[in-house]
Amino acid sequence: MTPDPKPLLTPDAVEAARSQIARLVKELRRVILGKEEMIDEVTAALLARGHVLLEGLPGLGKTELVKALSRLLTLDSRRIQFTPDLLPTDITGSHILQEREGRREFTFHPGPVFTNLLLADEINRASPKTQSALLEAMQEHRVTTFGQTRALPDPFFVLATQNPIELEGTYPLPEAQLDRFMVKVEIVGVDRSVLEEILNTRVHGEAPALEPVMTGDDLRKLFAAVDSVHLPRAVANFIARLVAATHPKSGDAPDAVRTFVKYGSSPRGAIAIGAASRGLALLRGKPNVGFDEVRRVAAPALAHRIVLDYAAKLEGWEGRRVVAALLEGVPEVERGLPQTLEAGR
Amino acid sequence: MKDLPPAVRPVLRRLARRIAFGLFLEIWPGWAIGAFLVAGTTALVCRMFFVQAAGFLPFLWIAPIMSTFPAIYLCFRRAYRPSEVVALADWLSGGQGTLLTLLEKRDPAWSNAAALENLSRVPLPRLKAWRKLAPVMAAAIFLSVALFMPQRMLTGPRSTVLANDVVADLKTAADALKKENLLTPDEQKKLDEEIERIRKDALERMDASSWEAADALREQVASQLNEKHDAMRWAQESLARYADTAQAGTPPSEAQSEELAKAIEKLAKTGMLADAPGDVQQLLGGQEAVTGGHVHLPTDPKKLRSLAAQLAKHLGDRSARFSELGKLAREGGRFDPSEFGDFSYEENTNPGREPGRGGIDHERGDADLTWGDESIPFDKFKSVALPPGSVRSPDDWAPVATLPGSPKESPELSASSTGMLFAGTSGQAAWRRTLSPRHYSAVKKYFDNSGTR
Repeated sequence: MTPDPKPLLTPDAVEAARSQIARLVKELRRVILGKEEMIDEVTAALLARGHVLLEGLPGLGKTELVKALSRLLTLDSRRIQFTPDLLPTDITGSHILQEREGRREFTFHPGPVFTNLLLADEINRASPKTQSALLEAMQEHRVTTFGQTRALPDPFFVLATQNPIELEGTYPLPEAQLDRFMVKVEIVGVDRSVLEEILNTRVHGEAPALEPVMTGDDLRKLFAAVDSVHLPRAVANFIARLVAATHPKSGDAPDAVRTFVKYGSSPRGAIAIGAASRGLALLRGKPNVGFDEVRRVAAPALAHRIVLDYAAKLEGWEGRRVVAALLEGVPEVERGLPQTLEAGR
Repeated sequence: MKDLPPAVRPVLRRLARRIAFGLFLEIWPGWAIGAFLVAGTTALVCRMFFVQAAGFLPFLWIAPIMSTFPAIYLCFRRAYRPSEVVALADWLSGGQGTLLTLLEKRDPAWSNAAALENLSRVPLPRLKAWRKLAPVMAAAIFLSVALFMPQRMLTGPRSTVLANDVVADLKTAADALKKENLLTPDEQKKLDEEIERIRKDALERMDASSWEAADALREQVASQLNEKHDAMRWAQESLARYADTAQAGTPPSEAQSEELAKAIEKLAKTGMLADAPGDVQQLLGGQEAVTGGHVHLPTDPKKLRSLAAQLAKHLGDRSARFSELGKLAREGGRFDPSEFGDFSYEENTNPGREPGRGGIDHERGDADLTWGDESIPFDKFKSVALPPGSVRSPDDWAPVATLPGSPKESPELSASSTGMLFAGTSGQAAWRRTLSPRHYSAVKKYFDNSGTR
């Protein structure tokens, strides 16, 4: 087998990246208690330069997480509270007629999207027209107004939150926009011990004071390291088979997919899994992606990309359960052991 | 796998060997089952239809061994590539991807990764081949059973042998009888036709009836021979009495003439005069009369004497032919003349043995008991060939009837009541028989005391 010309990360580089990420994660865990898995998923997505959709009930720390991230990463951050009367120009910015040196001309006033870390709070409360204003920004990292295209700052992340209840007066995100989020992280409640710790450490629920753990340059180096994380062919093959199996007409699709899935994931799903797996691998101090990382990020990366039909809703199936069935039905290694052998692990 | 760290190579080699063995056990059973089934089916077919192949059937055990060759070939064709073995090893060790990365990147910097240490602790995949091998065992049992099946003897050639064997004795007998001219041409033709018919019937369906048909034909031939022999002896005796009377100078009685005429007619009818000299036939009214059995004795005493003399000579010759049959038997051939009757091949030296003469054959005390008014042979008793018998199956037996008065054990009934009960069917007349007075008292005493005994 011909070696990949792209060099593998050295152990020192991996260790340096891992320690930096570990500091970030450690600080985030100080802010958000009892949400280790969610923090890992968000961190992995951010390292992969992906946008994150946080879904959870109010008061579970979604906004706090975003604020903590902007503080720790020394990134410029903006927050947009999405409401039904929010207009696209309220996000992208608009041209205002101004008089300058005796002449009237339109001057562009950038919107809150021109930032590094954009918190789109309760994004599903804005109208689809406003939501779609984010499409180009999320995918192309640029904004076009009045025929002029402007690049967004680098890095640019969108961390959106949405409330799964209180659906009245909301506009579910269109599939095209959902597809642009690398992962959708579901934030669940905390257990009793975490609640006790919150009560004991925070008088008014305020987050602890945070100090930046890395600069923008550090973050860019981390991005480069993440890009250098090796994705073995067998693992890439697993990702491809996993995403292909989300389509009900695929030969490898498990019964759950055939029964409940209307449309499978787009290729962005595979790209998202690969990227998030790389981020997670580096977070774990590995120079390569393994099957385990893929299994770990498959649910947050795929669940929101699978369009379920009404039968799934009636039967109580949702995206993560379908992905669990997928992981159960698609073997990691394409050519498994002979039938006469049984894995002893 | 040479580029992988030395620490993991032994593990990978063991895994590769285990996978190769597992692959063989995955592929070979299908071929083995097929080979066993084909061999078993072949054995069954040979057991049923090809007797000649019986000696080669044990070699069918080679078939499953031969099936290993294509299985091994397929194993080579489908062998796991090193990258696939490494992928499986990586998956078995927890799916860290480190081994895969090392295989693709060949970066020695990561040769001491902690994930590689886990690989040496990963247990090799366990063999669970019984599910695959169980059908092989079943197929092997099928071949064993097929080989242990008794060889079926084919109907065609075997029936030919048996059919020929059924009629072999008859043919030998027919040849012997033809050789001794004891059969007329018509009889020969009929006998040959009958033998051929029996043989063909036996070819189509060989069972007990074939042998019975042969036996029946043998009895029929024996009956003819006995009839001829008896007619010859009768004619010889009649001629002897006729000659004795003529020699005594007295004219033969009318009864003697009539007996001689009937004896000669019988001779003619049995075909014993068919090859008689021309003079004899001429004296008896010509060849047609002799063949048709309607002979006419000459009235001229001279001609009659001449006829008697020539006929006695002819019959003596015929008697010698019968004696020849006995010689054939002594030669130890297949022909057994005793099956065709008890011919007297020697000259009769003991007249006491003659039928109708009676007498006591103890030493010289025999006496001539010929009274002269016995019934003429062949007039009273005629030998009739019985129809062929048949083997009765036990299933054919069935009770003809069940009598209503069949005896039943009923101790509570007295002898008298029992007798009355079955009086209608078990001898009412006997029950009511009047006993003489001296018996009556004894019987009454017996039955009166029966309760006290």
